[in-house]
Amino acid sequence: MTGSSKRTSPLVGVVDDDESVRESLPDLLRSFGFAVDAFASAEAFLSSESLPRTDCLILDIAMPGMSGPELQHELAASGHTIPIVFITAHGGEDARPQLIKAGAVDYLLKPFSEEALVHAVRRALSVP
Amino acid sequence: MTHAEFEKEGPVVDDQFRLAIDKIPGLVWSSLPDGYVDFLNQRWCDYTGLSMDEAMGWGWQVAVCAEDLPSLVDTWKTVLSSGEPGEAVARLRRFDGTLRWFLFRAMPVRDEAGVVVKWYGETTDIEDQKRAEALLAGEKRLLEMIAKGEALHPTLDALCRLVDDNADGGHCAIRLVDSAGRRVQHGAAPALPPNDRPEQVIVSDIASDARLKDSEWAELALAQGWRACWTQPIMSLEGRVLGTFGLYAETSGEPTPQQRNLIEQCCHIASIAVERMHSEDTLHQVRAELAHVSRAASLGALTASIAHEINQPLSGIVTNASTCVRLLDSDPPNIDGARETARRTIRDANRAADVIARLRALFRKKSVTTESLDVNQAIREVVALLRRDIEASHVSLRTELSARLRPIAGDRVQIQQVVVNLVLNALDAMSTSRDGARRLFIKTEPAGGDHVRVVVEDSGVGVDPADAERIFDPFYTSKHDGMGMGLSISRSIIESHGGRLWAEANRDNGATFAFTLPTSVAVTATGPDDPRVPANA
Ligand SMILES: Nc1ncnc2c1ncn2[C@@H]1O[C@H](COP(=O)(O)OP(=O)(O)OP(=O)(O)O)[C@@H](O)[C@H]1O
Ligand SMILES: [Mg+2]
Repeated sequence: MTGSSKRTSPLVGVVDDDESVRESLPDLLRSFGFAVDAFASAEAFLSSESLPRTDCLILDIAMPGMSGPELQHELAASGHTIPIVFITAHGGEDARPQLIKAGAVDYLLKPFSEEALVHAVRRALSVP
Repeated sequence: MTHAEFEKEGPVVDDQFRLAIDKIPGLVWSSLPDGYVDFLNQRWCDYTGLSMDEAMGWGWQVAVCAEDLPSLVDTWKTVLSSGEPGEAVARLRRFDGTLRWFLFRAMPVRDEAGVVVKWYGETTDIEDQKRAEALLAGEKRLLEMIAKGEALHPTLDALCRLVDDNADGGHCAIRLVDSAGRRVQHGAAPALPPNDRPEQVIVSDIASDARLKDSEWAELALAQGWRACWTQPIMSLEGRVLGTFGLYAETSGEPTPQQRNLIEQCCHIASIAVERMHSEDTLHQVRAELAHVSRAASLGALTASIAHEINQPLSGIVTNASTCVRLLDSDPPNIDGARETARRTIRDANRAADVIARLRALFRKKSVTTESLDVNQAIREVVALLRRDIEASHVSLRTELSARLRPIAGDRVQIQQVVVNLVLNALDAMSTSRDGARRLFIKTEPAGGDHVRVVVEDSGVGVDPADAERIFDPFYTSKHDGMGMGLSISRSIIESHGGRLWAEANRDNGATFAFTLPTSVAVTATGPDDPRVPANA
C-alpha cells in the first residue's frame, strides 16, 4: 500500500512518545487518505528514510530526548522545510506565538477534534 | 574552762537549767571551747539511745551516719577555729537504727574579753523538710521532662522511681487507659487491680478485703508479698479517667498522710504528663493537616502535569472515536477496524480514570467535622503546641482570651490550622526584628453579639496597606521557602465557616490579622469528600 500511495498520497509523519497517539492518529489520518509514518522520538524520525519524503509533520512538544521545538530548529538548520503542526497535552497557549513565529503551521491542544486536525494538515500541505 | 578543768569540776549546769533544757523539744548540747562535748540533754540521749557518758566528748560520733561524719567533723573543726556560729547537716541514727536528717547548729559564748568560753548547740530534725525538698526536686525534674516534650513512657517510669524512693517502702504502679482502650502498665509493682472507677480505692488488707474475695489479682499480689494497695484515678482536666495510680505496701494498713500526699501529687503529675502527650498528639495531627495543606497547595504547581496526564488519554479517546465513526461510515463499513478503535477508546478512557483515581488518592483529605467549639480552648491548644516554636523565635507572647465567648460551630482542626498559619506568619515576620522587640499578642473577644473575633497581632515587618488584599492570593509569597498558600487557605476556611479574615497594618510597627466567626448558627463546612462522614470513621 505504501509503495503505490507514496506518489499519490501526501506523507504525514507523526512524532510522539505516547503510544496511544502513535496508534490512533495514523489510523484517523489514513481514513482521510493520507499516508502516515509514526515515530516514537525526534531522533528516530531524523534517522529514518522517511525524512526526505515527508510532506508534513505532526510533532509533540514535550518528549524525552530531543523535544518537538528542538527538532523544528534542527530541521530548519539542516535545510529541511517540512511544514509542522505541533500537538501538546500540556494545556497552555503560552508556547504558541513563539512556535508559530519559528514557522509552525498550527498548534493543537490535546485532545483536538478531527476537524481541527484535518484542517491543520491540509493547511500544512498547501504551504509551499 | 579547759578540758582538764572540766574533768576535775564536772558539768557546770545547775539543776533548774538542766530540767528546762531537758524539756525543750529539741536535741540540745554544749561543748568546751575545744569542741569537747560536756553536755547533752535528755532528748538527745533518748533519741540516739546513747547514755550521756557514751555520748560525751567525741562519743556522740557513733550516732552519726558514717557517710556524713567526715564532713560534719570537718565543719565542726572549722567552726571551732573560727569562733563564729556555724551549721551542718548530717543523718543521725535513732535508737532503733533509723537514719534521719538533722541540722546541727553551734553558737559560741564569749567572756568580756571576747574569748570563746563555751559552745551551745542545737540539733534539729529536718527529715520531713529534706524529704519534701527531695520530692519537690523530683517533681521539678519530672515537670521539666514533660515540658521538654520527652516521651510519655520514660517520664512515667521516672515518676514511678520517684515514688518508690519516697514512699517509705511502698511501691508504685501506673496503668494508663490509652485512647484505644488498651491498658499500659508502668512501674515495678505488679499490675493494678482491675478498676477504672473515678474514685480512690483503699485496700488496707488485700487478704481480707471483701471486694477482692476470690480475685485472681489479690492472690497474685499476696504471692508477691503485698498486703495493701491504695489506688487513685488519674484524671484529665475535663474529668476523664486517664488511668490509675497505685501504691503497694508490704504491710497492711492505711496510707500515712505523707503517702496520701504523695499519691495525690503523683496523680497530678501523671495527668499533666498524659495530657501533654495528648496535646502532643494533637500537635502531630495539626502538623499532619498542615503537611496535607502544603501538599494540596502544590496542586497548582502540579496542574501542568495533571493536565498532561489527563489530556494524553483524552486525546487518544477523541482520535480513536473519530476514526471509529469514520470506519463505520465508510462504504462498505470497516467493522473490524471500527471494533479495534472502539477497543482502544475504552482502554484510553480507563487510563484517564486511573489518573483521576491516583490523583484522588494523593489529595484525599480527611473529611471536615462540625462540632460545638470553644475557640479559646482551640487557641490554647495551638499556643501550647507552638510554644517551642515561639520560644525558639525569641518572641514574647501575651494572650487575652475573653471569658464571655460563646461557642462556635466548626471544625476544630481547620480553625486551629488558621491560627497556626497566622502565628507562624507572625513569627516569620518578626524574624528580622530586634531580639527584645518581638511581641505576639493573641486576643479573643465577642463581636457584634453573635460573632467571636480572634486577633493575632505582631511587631514584625508589617504589611503594606497596598498589599493587604494581595497577600491572600494563592501563591503570593515574599519568602524563599514560602508556598504562599497559608493565608489563602486560611481565608477559605474562615469563609466556609461563615466568617471573615483580614489584615491591617498596626499604628506603630507590625501587622494585625483578625478573623470573625459566627457563634450560634451551625455552619457545615465542606471538604473535598463527603462532609457528613466524621473523621476517623
Ligand atoms: N504577620 C505578617 N506580617 C507581615 N507580612 C505577612 C504576615 N503574614 C503574611 N504576610 C505576607 O503575606 C505573604 C503570604 O502569606 P502566606 O501565609 O499566604 O504564605 P507564606 O507564609 O509566604 O507561605 P506558606 O504557604 O508557607 O504559608 C507572606 O509571604 C508575607 O509576605
Ligand atoms: Mg504562611
